[in-house]
Amino acid sequence: MSATKTDVVIVGSGPSGAAAAKRLTDAGYEAVMLERKAMPRHKPCSGIISPRGHRFLIENFGPLPGETMHEPRYCRGVTFHFPRGGALPMDFDGGPTPHMHRKYCDAWAVKRSGAVLHAATEFLSLEDDGRRVRVRASRNGEPLTYDARYVIGADGPRLAVVKSLYPEYAKSIPWFVVGQKFHAIKECPLDEEYFHFWFDPGLGHYTWSHARDGRQIVGVGFRSGEVFDTKHARVVEHLERRHGVRLGPGEDTEIVTANFGPSLINRYVFGRGNTLITGQAAGFFNMIAEGMSCALHSGAIAGEAAVQAFRYGSDVQTVYREMIQSEVRRTSDQWNPFKVLFGRPHEADFRGALSRLPPGRRRLVWGDIWNFVKLYSSLNWGRQMFCQGALRQFTGRYSPSRWL
Amino acid sequence: MNPSAAEPAADPMAAESLPELPRQQTNPSRWNGAGWAAFATRLRSSGIEISEKRPALAVYATDSGGLACGMPHGVALARSTEQISEIMKAAQKYRVPVTVKGGGLTTEGETVAYGGLLLDMRGMSEVLSVNKAALTVRTQAGIYWHSLAEALRREGLDYLSAPLNMTSSVGGTLQVGGIDVNSPRLGCSADQAVSLKVVTPTGEIKECSETENPELFERVLLGYGQFGIVTEAVMRVRPFTPITMRYFYYSSIVEAMEDLKMLVRGDAADYCGILTIMDKAVNLLVAFDSDGREENFLRTWRKKLRGHGEAGFALRMAVHYALRPWKFQEALYLLSRKNAMQPEFFPYHHMEKGKIVDRTVVFSNAVWKFWGGKKMVIPDLATSEEKFVEAIVRGNEVCRKYFKHYTLYCVAIKLRDGLPRYELSCIPPDARGYAYGCEFEPMLGDREYSRDYLQSFKNEIYDIGADMKTSYYRFGGGMKGYIRRAFGNELVDRHLALKREADPAMVLNPDVIF
Repeated sequence: MSATKTDVVIVGSGPSGAAAAKRLTDAGYEAVMLERKAMPRHKPCSGIISPRGHRFLIENFGPLPGETMHEPRYCRGVTFHFPRGGALPMDFDGGPTPHMHRKYCDAWAVKRSGAVLHAATEFLSLEDDGRRVRVRASRNGEPLTYDARYVIGADGPRLAVVKSLYPEYAKSIPWFVVGQKFHAIKECPLDEEYFHFWFDPGLGHYTWSHARDGRQIVGVGFRSGEVFDTKHARVVEHLERRHGVRLGPGEDTEIVTANFGPSLINRYVFGRGNTLITGQAAGFFNMIAEGMSCALHSGAIAGEAAVQAFRYGSDVQTVYREMIQSEVRRTSDQWNPFKVLFGRPHEADFRGALSRLPPGRRRLVWGDIWNFVKLYSSLNWGRQMFCQGALRQFTGRYSPSRWL
Repeated sequence: MNPSAAEPAADPMAAESLPELPRQQTNPSRWNGAGWAAFATRLRSSGIEISEKRPALAVYATDSGGLACGMPHGVALARSTEQISEIMKAAQKYRVPVTVKGGGLTTEGETVAYGGLLLDMRGMSEVLSVNKAALTVRTQAGIYWHSLAEALRREGLDYLSAPLNMTSSVGGTLQVGGIDVNSPRLGCSADQAVSLKVVTPTGEIKECSETENPELFERVLLGYGQFGIVTEAVMRVRPFTPITMRYFYYSSIVEAMEDLKMLVRGDAADYCGILTIMDKAVNLLVAFDSDGREENFLRTWRKKLRGHGEAGFALRMAVHYALRPWKFQEALYLLSRKNAMQPEFFPYHHMEKGKIVDRTVVFSNAVWKFWGGKKMVIPDLATSEEKFVEAIVRGNEVCRKYFKHYTLYCVAIKLRDGLPRYELSCIPPDARGYAYGCEFEPMLGDREYSRDYLQSFKNEIYDIGADMKTSYYRFGGGMKGYIRRAFGNELVDRHLALKREADPAMVLNPDVIF
């Protein structure tokens, strides 16, 4: 069977894949994009995007069409809820951002990127002979082969491309279960223009709620091994008791697993040889687990690195790893305790909002944050975050020696 | 944008309600190619050669900036005004975008074609006639400035002011400005144009000058290629003279800028400008066309300058770094930089009796080759005299934040107040008499930077401009999101209406301004 020959194969049709494809097709290279499902495909996601991500979408793909957004169409910012410190709302820098409808938003971005989309095509494995990469895939059970100069793995937490390069990697990192249910709203005093997040170790590692298309989403993330329904019911009960939120029964349950963590401790995975890993697959995750903006930017950088390698014959890994520094700094800075305490790494003014609280409440908030962070102590990230953060302060960058 | 929004103004997702960030598609999507085949067939039937082969197209994938990439559907080499007229007539009919490229020295993708036809003007690069009595030259517009200078030299003549990199084309330069170290005396290159032969976006061939078709003349000059393709230009020239150069060194940007303003106001030198190595070594250069001017400068102005000669400055720097031994790397960098650059500024093989006999040697690639690398970003601010120092000081802070090594290049531009051509251009609306410009040039070298990093740097520089209500030189292409912030909706909309009238299919140089 003859292989489909192309310049670059991109695995995954999310934001990072679309951004990489945009850079490649702009420069005149062909990018074939493999998507496991039929398009447009559903994707469980809060749909929150940071101002940087919003700007990237518009600058690269044009004005957002109506169908790429849910109702309410925008999000003004984030509200943090602390067990003792109360609510702390923060607006995004530069105005509200859209509430993305991932099913249509991703399809729109892919279409605008100029990629050649091969939908319902699952990536299986790859072989890199140093000059070109042979990719094996399947469509409706039928085997397919692609022959490309470079492969970009942009398949998010599935890590299919990562696994084909590093079979042990997925077992070596902690995994989180993240689930959400949709509820009819009887009464909801939570401001629907904000994304709500709870710093409450009693609820979960990652607890959130926001409105979408007339219903309220209640979600919770936790370490693998616990039962979603129990955790979720506890959050719903908490919302009712603490905030007076009265909801109908949960429906349309969505559960995913997430490779949350590499950006906190600077343990990214960027690929090997002629294969680049990007987006969430590489480990990019912003604060409040907004992944779209760093997926877009890191994907674009993967595309830029490939273009650079094509044009100048440079080694694609070297170029990519040098270029990606800017995105690593952007993302890891958001988790870096030194930057959080003394800098302004986020796209909402956390310290500013905090400074407007009376001193007593401020102390309570810091105490609540400390209690919440302790929930993660079993992961042994604390020392790594501290050391990486300190090194960043001294050297101005995150050490590439920790990347895979 | 959103058909369901009954009141767009109340919708925070409407484009016009997002004032803080430049939110506009600045990396354009590739044109869909509808009509290309018919367009190409028609041109070929008229004997116009178009190349659609990938290796030929790949040559045009990017510009000097190396950041914006795009591929045309085909490339045509400019041969004659009539040929270009044919191309534009067909482009209007089949709605095919036409991107015009001369030297391609843009940094924001203004000369990158995102589909459609790329018209390479370098096919029209002959000097047509020289009028020694009237001191004018008529030249085809695709000629590089250094070729023009060479042709003029044979006649004992010289150009007035040209851009710093002389591998730019005359036609391209006239449509964006063209700033030189003699712009404080002579204005920008665009102001040297006497008359132009232009192909309008609809394919008409028109001569224009300040007396003939003046509206077209004023729109095309500094028009960023929106209102026509310049195919021939008549420009003022002058008798050739060798020049003498003098350098004064400062360790404070503010002092150097203030001295520059003083020299400009007093018409103290024939050429003056500032080039720096970061904000550590600031070089104010002055040059003279005649001994008389130089003597007058030494008599009247030298003692008012706060800058030092080379020996004096070297001594001061030696003391400065001796007291700050931990900054030895910075000192070494300054020294290496000086050693690398000095031969370019004193090109002994082009000097006679202390005078530079060929200024194109200094003011061409010699300076540019020290900037950028494979990629280049040159954000800039153009201000009135009053805002100049503050803008530079703020811009300098941004440079320090992003890059270890960078250069600032500052010049003044003499204005002929009130000319319509200055609207929506690098000339700030509030400048009277003189405008001042500063380019912020990071030394990218061979390091690889992501576009996002470089873009963030540019945004921070341009944010200063938006905040201070100044203008820019490079506001097209990737930075077009700033145009409305800088100039306001009323002016931009007025120009958009003019553009729509002149170019109904909106095909000439799309994605540059509008």
